[in-house]
Amino acid sequence: MLNKFLFLFFISFTLLAESYYDFQNDEDEKRFFNLIKEIRCPKCTSGSLASSNAPVSEDLKKIIAEMIEDNKSNEDIKSYISDRFGKETLYDTPIEPKTYALWYSPFVFLLVCLMIFFFRKKA
Amino acid sequence: MKLLLKIIIFIIPLIIFSFFYLYLSKDNSYPGADYKKFDLPAFELQSLYDENFISNNLLEGTYLVNVWASWCITCRVEHGFLTELSNNNINIVGLNYKDNRDDAIEWLVKYGNPYGVVIHDLKGSLALDMGVTGAPETFLVTDQRVIAHYRGEINNMIWNDVFLPVIKERGLVIDAK
Repeated sequence: MLNKFLFLFFISFTLLAESYYDFQNDEDEKRFFNLIKEIRCPKCTSGSLASSNAPVSEDLKKIIAEMIEDNKSNEDIKSYISDRFGKETLYDTPIEPKTYALWYSPFVFLLVCLMIFFFRKKA
Repeated sequence: MKLLLKIIIFIIPLIIFSFFYLYLSKDNSYPGADYKKFDLPAFELQSLYDENFISNNLLEGTYLVNVWASWCITCRVEHGFLTELSNNNINIVGLNYKDNRDDAIEWLVKYGNPYGVVIHDLKGSLALDMGVTGAPETFLVTDQRVIAHYRGEINNMIWNDVFLPVIKERGLVIDAK
């Protein structure tokens, strides 16, 4: 008897947790949890939407869930958020003229290091 | 070859020093300031005081939009400065963010109302479209376009360093009268 009650008690948490965001299928739900891991919370110094319960993050999670229900693509959802809160909300920084330095400077640095290394050997 | 090596050894620290010099000597940049320009989002929300709807088309000219709430402590801190701006005839639109209507009205009665109109954004929908992450935040809007945005408390220093340069550069008139 007690075991039954305990079982019901613990399962009630998961039942409540699932009803917060309502998805039609498991794939949508998976997409949702992947997206909130890939988007930075605008209010936090660094932390994903998944890790944040700031009011703005709760709003964004609700909007992401709604957009998934409307069958919007991941790109649509990401651009919706980055248009409003800036490109820094995306963990996966896009490669574009403004971010060339960020993406390619390590390779340039490596090249310079290699050049120094080889010149030294010859000298 | 030895000469080239010497040149490289000289140039690399020079690049590093100039990088730090350029980025650290800029003392006029504020982390909360953002000059990204965007159109004021279309909205239709109730006024705080009556049931009338306020839409983006009703707001004209140049004005500030200040995001505030009665639960926001920093809003209380900047309230004195906003009152000062308002006394200098600067048009401020209040965006009441996720607040109880009665609490907000009581707050304004208690501390004074520096706002021309107050929009009641109960669910934070307009705030979300404007990229608000919390309260307080202040936007400078002219001709339906946001041209400056500050996240955090505004005071004399922020006003002079973040907003005034933009207003002067564009030759904007922000007087309410």
